[in-house]
Amino acid sequence: MVMQLSAKQSLHLPRIAELIRVEKLSDREKVFEFKFDDGKELGQMPGQFVEISIFGVGEAPISVTSSPTHRGSFELAVRATGSLTNKLHTLEKGAKVGIRGPFGNGFPIQTLKGKDILFVAGGIGLFPLRSLINYVLDNRKDFGEVNTLFGCRSPQERLFIGQLQEWNTCKDMCFLETVDRCSDDSWTGNVGVITTLFPKVSFDPAKTYAIVVGPPIMYRFVIAECLKKGLAEDHIIMSLERRMKCGVGKCGHCQINGLYCCQEGPVFTYAQVKSLKEAV
Amino acid sequence: MQNRVISKKDLAGFVDDLIKTKAAGEVIGIQAKDSKFNFGPLKNAAELRLDYDIALLPPKKYFFPQIETVLKYEFGATPKVEPVVNDKAMCLIGVHPFDIRGLLLFDAVYGGANPDANLMMKRQKSVIIGVDCLTPNPKAFAASMGTAVTDEGFDLMLTDIGNDYFVTVGTNKGDSLIKKAKTKEATAADQEKRDKVRKDALKKYQVTLKMKPDEIPALLDANWESKVFNDKAATCFSCGSCVMVCPTCVCFDVQDDPALNLKGGERYRRWDACMLSEFAKVASGENFREHKEQRFRHRMYRKGKYLLERYKYLGCVGCGRCAIACLAQIASPAETFNLIKEAK
Amino acid sequence: MKPRVAFFDFTGCEGCQLEVLNFNLEIVDLINVVDIVEFREASSDHSDEYDIAFIEGSITTEKEIERIQGIRNNAKILVSLGACACTAGVNALKNFYTMDENLKLVYGENAKWYKTIPARPVHSVVPVDFFIHGCPPIRGEVIRLVKCLLTGKKFELYHDPVCVECKLNENICVYEKGQTCFGPVTRGGCNSICVNSGRHCWGCRALVDEPNLNAEKELLARYNLTVNDILGKYRIFNGTLEVAKS
Repeated sequence: MVMQLSAKQSLHLPRIAELIRVEKLSDREKVFEFKFDDGKELGQMPGQFVEISIFGVGEAPISVTSSPTHRGSFELAVRATGSLTNKLHTLEKGAKVGIRGPFGNGFPIQTLKGKDILFVAGGIGLFPLRSLINYVLDNRKDFGEVNTLFGCRSPQERLFIGQLQEWNTCKDMCFLETVDRCSDDSWTGNVGVITTLFPKVSFDPAKTYAIVVGPPIMYRFVIAECLKKGLAEDHIIMSLERRMKCGVGKCGHCQINGLYCCQEGPVFTYAQVKSLKEAV
Repeated sequence: MQNRVISKKDLAGFVDDLIKTKAAGEVIGIQAKDSKFNFGPLKNAAELRLDYDIALLPPKKYFFPQIETVLKYEFGATPKVEPVVNDKAMCLIGVHPFDIRGLLLFDAVYGGANPDANLMMKRQKSVIIGVDCLTPNPKAFAASMGTAVTDEGFDLMLTDIGNDYFVTVGTNKGDSLIKKAKTKEATAADQEKRDKVRKDALKKYQVTLKMKPDEIPALLDANWESKVFNDKAATCFSCGSCVMVCPTCVCFDVQDDPALNLKGGERYRRWDACMLSEFAKVASGENFREHKEQRFRHRMYRKGKYLLERYKYLGCVGCGRCAIACLAQIASPAETFNLIKEAK
Repeated sequence: MKPRVAFFDFTGCEGCQLEVLNFNLEIVDLINVVDIVEFREASSDHSDEYDIAFIEGSITTEKEIERIQGIRNNAKILVSLGACACTAGVNALKNFYTMDENLKLVYGENAKWYKTIPARPVHSVVPVDFFIHGCPPIRGEVIRLVKCLLTGKKFELYHDPVCVECKLNENICVYEKGQTCFGPVTRGGCNSICVNSGRHCWGCRALVDEPNLNAEKELLARYNLTVNDILGKYRIFNGTLEVAKS
């Protein structure tokens, strides 16, 4: 039998956080900055997620987009798709929400230390990846060469534009961007799917880890490209989406074969994903 | 701890005392419900039907209720949030060994990493008085799952040996309870009787798994593409009956229910399961097990492999409830595993 | 300002409105959060100014088509309340006869004074925002919709079949008693109320999203029902569905 439990240890009990900033990222996405009422840190690792509550509406799993190197508050970037996220989009500064977490394994920081990194983000896949990119930039000396590729469908769907600008001029990493299509001349950059950026970067496959986050369709092509470039299967790291309801490995909704995405994931190597039957 | 023997009359007295004194909390017992049996609060020992075949719902409902409020909150500038845990003491009488194995799986899932207060606090305060199943349901196959008899998970275990019950004492808690009853020390002859009764009962199981339970994971590993899953799932209603009656289905959904006065509300969890069509659907609309064949297969893998590998307990205890409940007659894991093996 | 709610009855028995009135104490909470501006069963007030319109009954005359279109134009949110509004309900039984036959059957010699058209669910005439199924609808579901509209939570129809709640309620399966039941293909959310009280599911809440109708036919056939028996059973509440037609 386990140790004596009390109701205060309820897995369902969230901590209260205050919304201190909202910023529109695009027509469908906003970034929300929160601060815990008790002044404590979230204490997340890049790639982890939280369960955010709006009381009376429900809970949803959202990846943390800010880096743990950013202290005092944390950010969630959210697309309005479901019941909770649509309601979240109506909240204003000062609103209180519940937060449980952080949950999940996060990106394997220790493995990545001293290695070269190729970040590949598609669309809102940038949200979880942004946490790690900023973590790496803030601890730059711990990592080797860094290349970052970001693609979205159109110039209107670019996210964190200020941040993209910074990365563009940042000397610490090579940053390349593309849009799938562009019908006007508002965009002078690369046009084409994200794999069209691959010939423009050079990396040493033996020393490099690729961290890939994006929609299911993107994984197929990007992984094929990574393998073609000679990356080992366990050097390709991805983050999977599932319906993580409880976050603590109980409710069963996020199960992929025998694994719980909220426990062993959401970050998996391609070698792991390949051995799973229903992962992608 | 010494095993005991209690006469049927004295057992009734013991049960009535438990009900009267509430010494072990609220007394829940197996009783008749029309032509079937079910667990419910016991008013007196006469209601107890220890000769039953199977309970409609497994006793897990007392630790993991069908619907359970887990939070209460008040809206406001800063919401007030309180966890809700109902951990009243309970004494369950008449739990079959395979249902006890089901509860042990729950302990592993809900008591291991990230222990769940709602479930485990109830478990810790409860007393389990089991009874060996001597009249198994025709659809049950616990004998071949190794779950028809258990030597753990109970405080006391009763075995009908004719005029008396043999009382196997499992814990100190059980020991101190049974000491209050009029019993005799069990002799070697009594124990022999118990063992024979148990052995004879094993032969009454009509459904047999045609392999050892620990061979199931390898069988499933080699047969992901088996046609059996598709054939069986063709007539599946996705009605959830099989998973709602299962003693080893541990999954739930979480929902909010605001009060109509809009001053607050509560959050509750409710049984949910992988055979229901929207179980693996995410907010963006993607459903990771969209087809009933995928859901059928996932359930079979959970029963035969996933839970075993994760928690060391098989996800099926052979109670046969799913097979009884399934109108399409496709739900029995034993039947599916046997078919896969025969198709090889 | 509190949202203004109106109830309108079309062809039906008005039992849905009675069911809403049966809220007892909840009705007090309800009128604290919404203004009921039109509710023939409960009040003589009348208004064309409303936000949420609950429609009871199905569309069975040309006049009703005009009327529902008017209500749709006035309402921000239009809700089909009950089986007649959601599926045409029992009214759809008449669709299996010619309209002349129906008029003669009901009005005899006076048939010539009346006009009728095949029964239609509301959403086949005007767009409907939300459905509350059932004959009668479940009170709790009306309340749940109101709460969702007030809190901004998305109202989702209960998607699991009746069997789920029926099992949670520890009922003995109707089929085990030798009777037949529409539970496996019917949308739950009713807390299996009919089976709880010793009956079987009639299918009044329409089908689940992906009903396995072939399996249901197979199942009914196993109980020695003929195709006509089965169709008859389907037609009581699901006459407008393809499956009930042939």
